[in-house]
Amino acid sequence: MATADSEETLKHPERRFSKDTRNRLTAIGRHAVLLVWAVVVLFPLYWLVSMSLKPAREAIALPPKWLFVPIFSNYAELAQNGEFVYAFFNTVFMVSVSVIVVLLIGVPAAYVLSRYDIPRQRDVLVWILSSRMLPPIAVVIPFFVIFRKLNLFDTRIAMMFMYITINISLVVWVMKAFFDGIPETLEEAARVDGASRFQSFLRVILPSAKPGIFSVAIISFIFAWIELLFGLVLTNQTATTVSMQVYQFIGVKQIEWGMLAAASTAVIVPVLVFLIAVNKYLAAGLSFGVVIKE
Amino acid sequence: MARIKLDNITKEFGDGENSIVAVDDVSLEIHDGEFVVFVGPSGSGKSTLMRTVAGLEDQTDGDVVIGNTIVNELSPSDRNIAMVFQNYALYPNMTAEQNMSFGLKMSTDLTDDEIEQRVTEAAQMMGIEELLDNSPGDMSGGQQQRVALGRAIVRNPNVFLLDEPLSNLDAKLRTEMRTEINRLQNDLDVTTLYVTHDQTEAMTMGDRLVVLNQGQLQQVGTPLECFYRPANQFVAGFLGSPSMNFFTGHVEGGTFRTDGIDFDLTERIQSSLGDRNEVTLGIRPEDIELHEEPNSAHGFEAVVDVVEPMGSISYVYLRPEKQESEKTFVVETEGQRATTVGDHMYVEFPPESVHLFDIDSGETIHQRRLNEDAEEALRDRMEKNLSA
Repeated sequence: MATADSEETLKHPERRFSKDTRNRLTAIGRHAVLLVWAVVVLFPLYWLVSMSLKPAREAIALPPKWLFVPIFSNYAELAQNGEFVYAFFNTVFMVSVSVIVVLLIGVPAAYVLSRYDIPRQRDVLVWILSSRMLPPIAVVIPFFVIFRKLNLFDTRIAMMFMYITINISLVVWVMKAFFDGIPETLEEAARVDGASRFQSFLRVILPSAKPGIFSVAIISFIFAWIELLFGLVLTNQTATTVSMQVYQFIGVKQIEWGMLAAASTAVIVPVLVFLIAVNKYLAAGLSFGVVIKE
Repeated sequence: MARIKLDNITKEFGDGENSIVAVDDVSLEIHDGEFVVFVGPSGSGKSTLMRTVAGLEDQTDGDVVIGNTIVNELSPSDRNIAMVFQNYALYPNMTAEQNMSFGLKMSTDLTDDEIEQRVTEAAQMMGIEELLDNSPGDMSGGQQQRVALGRAIVRNPNVFLLDEPLSNLDAKLRTEMRTEINRLQNDLDVTTLYVTHDQTEAMTMGDRLVVLNQGQLQQVGTPLECFYRPANQFVAGFLGSPSMNFFTGHVEGGTFRTDGIDFDLTERIQSSLGDRNEVTLGIRPEDIELHEEPNSAHGFEAVVDVVEPMGSISYVYLRPEKQESEKTFVVETEGQRATTVGDHMYVEFPPESVHLFDIDSGETIHQRRLNEDAEEALRDRMEKNLSA
């Protein structure tokens, strides 16, 4: 019991710092760790961008030249490079279409796998995942042969098909987990309210799953965008991809460091634009399946 | 508004040997405007039965009739019901207003103005006008609950189905909403089915209780009927908190004997026994008397094991002095009565408060006595139910 008498016997445990100071020190420590981590993560990006803004000789100078006057000639030259520009927009087109198609197929498939009792459901899921089980190098030759036979070599259709193949398992698996986290009572409420199963999917579940959809969209976009191997083997000119064009700057005899850096930087831009556009949905989406548990 | 009739409803989950019977041949009639509570422990089939009425679950066997229509083949929306779910199931991508108008947009031809008017009226009734532009994520549990109720009211349905709607609320809010739902049901006079596992909710809310256990109907009756005239040991033990005390023992020469307790049976009790030698005796904690000194020949001595003070009352757990096992029974005493662990007390079971149950079937073979008024009220009520 706390009485006036017993208060005298209460002790303040001795601590070197006050509670406020300790809190402040913890905050400083935490920020220091984050800062170090940010430097580790962002340094290669800084290196790349700075390299793209230096003349060829300075680009790989050792020790590096930290202070320099930026030049934009690499970018100007890149913009003049017809093959690169063609490949850039060609890839934007192929990847965008493939992401839309993979979402159109994968999201409803994931919903069905999440909500309906399907015989051998587990096997179906593993079968879908199996498209990613073999290393790409193992399947690229058969695909090359097949596409040649079907007259699909070096076509956008073939590349888009490959991108869809790469991403379908990701979309189905992640979205299934996401739908599993959305309470089924939402659809039931919608059904009681007069919506059909399809309407409740379209008007209630799909909007609730937006964070998940944007997350798999951005990840699918990145996977397709940075794809190199299939581009190298399955295309020649028409369906050429931007990563192949970046690769062009690594010549047999010399590497065009400035151009390579500028092209690499340009390649990052669409991903960044996409990320910023859907940023507000991502935070929730990346913590898959915990959106609206009660 | 409509009556509901359940005819031999059976619901099995799974096929063949692995099937589980969730609802086992339940028949029931719910009158127009009645407030009926399905109560039972988890796994008793109460939610499944309600979902069968809603059309969210198809019964394996039997008919569901709403009004004068067999609705077995009708979709949930065609049954003209409204349902409130345990987790409220508000559409997270819509505002409160959109949540409430969604059903009207999907299932009626009302114009936007008419819909708005109905939503506003329902919002006023639930006191949520200022929440209409909020999305569910921005609301507290209690507010979400009100919106969910508003969403049900706005549809103007034949039947309200409420599936454990209060179990996610804190104790204070639960009591408030309990009163509110009672008031709402009285005002709207819509046939209402309410599912709960909470016997307090069941006792305080329904016109009638439907007590279920393991998919089987145990008893249908008013809360007081079920409490004072339990059909079997399950109902007796399920309703009332703390539960009724049960003692299993045998009868020898007019005396019920169990470990540490001898209890002389009155003639009235003995006449209910038939040819049974073994029975279960039940007595509610509030009916047991505790004395400091031996009071009569009926009593026995017991030691206080645990005391749980609740404020105005205390729950005292006692162990009969002569008992060999550690089993205790509970007695409700006045809160101001000083009782300490280790105290010796003289316990008396008033013969008029004792129930007896068949040891095998659990059926009640002897009901407690009630005072005349209560007896009459219950009899009236039972007769009314029979004639209805």
